[in-house]
Amino acid sequence: MESFAPIPALIGGALIGLATAVLWLGNGRIAGISGIFGQLLPPARTVVWRVLFLLALILAAWGTSYLVPGLGIGGPGGAVAQLAAPPASFGIPTPVWIVISGLLIGFGTKIGNGCTSGHGVCGLARLSKRSFVAVGVFFGVAILTVTLTGIV
Amino acid sequence: MKTNLSLPYLLTAIASGALFGAGLYVSQMVDPLKVLRFLDFTAIPTGGWDPSLAFVIGPAILVMFVAVQISKRRNKPAFDSEFHEPEYKKIDLPLVGGAALFGLGWGMSGICPGPAIALVGFVPENLWLFLIALFVGSYAGSLVIPSGRDRRLAQAAAK
Repeated sequence: MESFAPIPALIGGALIGLATAVLWLGNGRIAGISGIFGQLLPPARTVVWRVLFLLALILAAWGTSYLVPGLGIGGPGGAVAQLAAPPASFGIPTPVWIVISGLLIGFGTKIGNGCTSGHGVCGLARLSKRSFVAVGVFFGVAILTVTLTGIV
Repeated sequence: MKTNLSLPYLLTAIASGALFGAGLYVSQMVDPLKVLRFLDFTAIPTGGWDPSLAFVIGPAILVMFVAVQISKRRNKPAFDSEFHEPEYKKIDLPLVGGAALFGLGWGMSGICPGPAIALVGFVPENLWLFLIALFVGSYAGSLVIPSGRDRRLAQAAAK
């Protein structure tokens, strides 16, 4: 199996769980990333903590690539981070593909009230029925999309 | 709603964001190509499937589940007056349709919102286009469909 690494995945997952636990028990907030950045836009009410959270997230991800090198992209000797290119047969320029993907994700997570973190981690942990439905749908559609486009 | 600007509150947000970013990096959820290899179930029969990321969500849910159980025995979180629990319970078209559109976009690029933000430090080509589109899409969504909170309030008012 290609680049199979369950241990970093388990540790990374536990860190993400810890992040959501800290925000919930400390501030009573759901650490859903689409919600945290989505509510920076008008009519934004609580901007400061959201900006600090996102800046810390960016810095920590980057810093960890130097603290724990060799896991994948970034850091000393790591691979260069790349976004996916569309299948060549589609004849769509990569920037257009990337923009369509971003629009769909922004719009979808907004009207669906959550993404992989808000529904996937926090919602399932809260045993929310809405989140079980959302996670089933977005995982299913994502797997179907990768299968049908043959993007990998 | 009063804006909370106390130091412990903001430090908690920073600690949570930092743990989140470290977790996204250590698990390599931050690598869109790895995410796509995980979502590619057609590679299962050929043995080329990379199931690593299936191991991310389990411990994440487990830790958060414990936190949720702890919070049930408390009236409020440490640094705020209430738990901001999503209270809208209805399974409706915006939820299902939104999740489907998100899944489509995620399958196209392998980037969900957390990694999109975490990738800023690794400056992959075209990321800025993705982030602008993410914000525009999110803003468009907020114009089209009222938030879950607003729908819940409208529902309560109609009763």
